[in-house]
Amino acid sequence: MSLQKPVMRGLLAKRLRFHLPIAFSLAIAAALAFKFGVTEPRKKAYAEFYKNYDNVKEFNAMREAGVFEGVRPSGE
Amino acid sequence: MAHPSQLGFQDAASPVMEELLHFHDHTLMIVFLISTLVLYIIMAMVTTKLTNKFILDSQEIEIIWTLLPALILILIALPSLRILYLMDEVNDPHLTVKALGHQWYWSYEYTDYNNFGFDSYMVPTQDLTPGQFRLLDVDHRMVIPTESPVRVLITADDVLHSWAVPSLGIKMDAVPGRLNQTAFIVSRPGIYYGQCSEICGANHSFMPIVVEAIPLKHFENWSTLMLENS
Repeated sequence: MSLQKPVMRGLLAKRLRFHLPIAFSLAIAAALAFKFGVTEPRKKAYAEFYKNYDNVKEFNAMREAGVFEGVRPSGE
Repeated sequence: MAHPSQLGFQDAASPVMEELLHFHDHTLMIVFLISTLVLYIIMAMVTTKLTNKFILDSQEIEIIWTLLPALILILIALPSLRILYLMDEVNDPHLTVKALGHQWYWSYEYTDYNNFGFDSYMVPTQDLTPGQFRLLDVDHRMVIPTESPVRVLITADDVLHSWAVPSLGIKMDAVPGRLNQTAFIVSRPGIYYGQCSEICGANHSFMPIVVEAIPLKHFENWSTLMLENS
């Protein structure tokens, strides 16, 4: 009874066949993670900020805090 | 303005800067995709002794690794060109301000209706009042109205300077003998900081830019006051 001949060829190709799909999947996962972890929240944050943004109210608050040079607080 | 240990861009205060932020996110996503792929492949290749010395060519893989990068470049180029042309639109500005770079301060001229202008020097560190920012605050800010298209004409009096305000997405070189134009709309009231962005001598780091955006009515009051005082 003799041993089965071991696989001696195509070892690198087998390794590539195993690792390349993982590489591409990880790469796409990284891109999707960035897209849904950073890109979409940032777009949403800007949309939310400006949805109910009251220019006048914010300006008046800043004015009363005395930060502007062009317009002083209403008391002065 | 920037805050300590900041990594990303400053919060956008103009529509163009918002577009630039989203474009940067899109491009960075592609960068992470490519970097992850390449890093994984490198790790897979350096952790094996297996080789194939007999590969001569392969049409299939050559096609893949030509077409895929070309597709990625198109995905980057299309939004990029869109923003480029968006930034070039000058939609009938309501106001034109001239910014002149000097060694080492900026001066602003408002010449649309009546002439007035002023110099804008950095507040020296020893003269800062509580609440002012070191190396950023100036004695006279460039005041502009909010939600109005503003055109800025930029030039220099002596050497190269550059007028930059990151939160508005603006940077334009101030070249002696040349008038560069840029335009922007400030979305919300506030104070926006920038610094000279072209090396111009000893005090290059000490000639900041401060843009103050206030509602039109208050801007008109301010410009009337400046005219009376000039």
